[in-house]
Amino acid sequence: MNSSFDTSYDSTMPEEFQLLCMLHNIGATTQEKSLPIERISEWTRMEGSKVELQLQKLVELGFVQLVEAEGSNKYHITLNGIRKVLSTYS
Amino acid sequence: MVTWEFPPRIVGGIARHCEGLAEALVSGGHEVHVITLDLPGIPYYEEMEGVKVYRTAVQLGHPNFLTWALLFNHFMEKKMAEVSQKAGFDLIHVHDWLTAFAGISFKYYLKKPMITTIHATEIGRAQGLHNPSSLAIDGIEWWSTYEASKVIVTSDSMRREICDHFHLPWEKIEIIPNGIDTTPYNTSVDRWAVRGRYGVGSNEKLVLCVGRLVPQKGIEYLIQAIPMISQRRPETRFIVVGDGWLRGHLENLAQSTGYRAKTTFTGFIPDSEVVALMTSADVLVVPSIYEPFGIVALEGMAAGVPVVASQIGGLAEVIEHDRTGIFAHSRNPGSIAWGVDRVLSDPGHSKWLAQNAKELVQKTYSWKAIATKTVEVYEEAAG
Repeated sequence: MNSSFDTSYDSTMPEEFQLLCMLHNIGATTQEKSLPIERISEWTRMEGSKVELQLQKLVELGFVQLVEAEGSNKYHITLNGIRKVLSTYS
Repeated sequence: MVTWEFPPRIVGGIARHCEGLAEALVSGGHEVHVITLDLPGIPYYEEMEGVKVYRTAVQLGHPNFLTWALLFNHFMEKKMAEVSQKAGFDLIHVHDWLTAFAGISFKYYLKKPMITTIHATEIGRAQGLHNPSSLAIDGIEWWSTYEASKVIVTSDSMRREICDHFHLPWEKIEIIPNGIDTTPYNTSVDRWAVRGRYGVGSNEKLVLCVGRLVPQKGIEYLIQAIPMISQRRPETRFIVVGDGWLRGHLENLAQSTGYRAKTTFTGFIPDSEVVALMTSADVLVVPSIYEPFGIVALEGMAAGVPVVASQIGGLAEVIEHDRTGIFAHSRNPGSIAWGVDRVLSDPGHSKWLAQNAKELVQKTYSWKAIATKTVEVYEEAAG
């Protein structure tokens, strides 16, 4: 994460989990609202290659779903991912 | 009722609190409308046990949690304005800072009193105010208590905390504890089959911990206690139920102790399975370092499992040491190990503790009793 990273997250929180929280907060929560890497990169101010790496981890963990549409990959958070994010808050 | 979580959208204890209270209010003859946030696949409107539940879609987002929360308040305000066209509200009951702005706006729009329940504070959750977002949330919490006609908290420790921190008049705050529906805990469970599902043998002792895997729950101290417990009682097995961003760290910590094989991390599991595990365990450990109430302790007490809990916050009020549970020192693995051993070493005494706890829960923490007290606060606020 760069220095502009959101201070509302605990600095010891794993980066892929911080990304998961941000995907939730920007509203990428359903297939219709799935976003391409470039857009996620804009929102999170993370480099595209880094976003891709973290998203791969989150897909493997079942917290993010990859949607292949119109020749581009888009991502959205799954229900398990939402539960994971919500476990942080409250 | 305005809340950012309501079943099946469950974050922490607030969802269950709002569900139990809303249903008990409806049973008492009141009309309850809940405005909350949506969850994919769940209807935007439904009636749940007579409670009218409106789930709001959030059309704008922002990666920053605080900004996102402020944005969803706008969409809640819109939903509330829409619902108010057909429902005549007498008052607004807001739960925690997350929906405070929507509640405050609505209070002025309707010209009706607003009640706020503070379930926890930012300074307590984060163990300090360490960044701008925390400072802003702390300000919102104070603002919601200022705007409210009455403030409800779930324990005396929370009353003292918010009186001190927000400089509120003592008489503005009412203590109404969390409640619990004991029905699911009274059903018959084949505890050996449940334990078998998690690989716990009939000759082993099951130590259970249930909670979000975040620092405030203190689960690292239980994991540090596992070697001490295991050396004294090699037949113990440990199950940690719940999920959270600290999970990787906790699993690594368990690995580093050399006792990872004795510990199962289940992640998120359905409520019915949590109940089954609670009724099948030999000890429930609640090692929190900050706990305004500690509903999980009540759940364990309702399930009839002896509870070993940190002597802090609301836990210190719900449990009576050596009568309805065992206290351990917070952040102290040695003390947790002592508490678990205290339970496992004297089955007769443990059974007595569990019976006392179950009776206390049924008598004091029913949702009917909680709703009755809440209505008294509503009536006082409404004048």
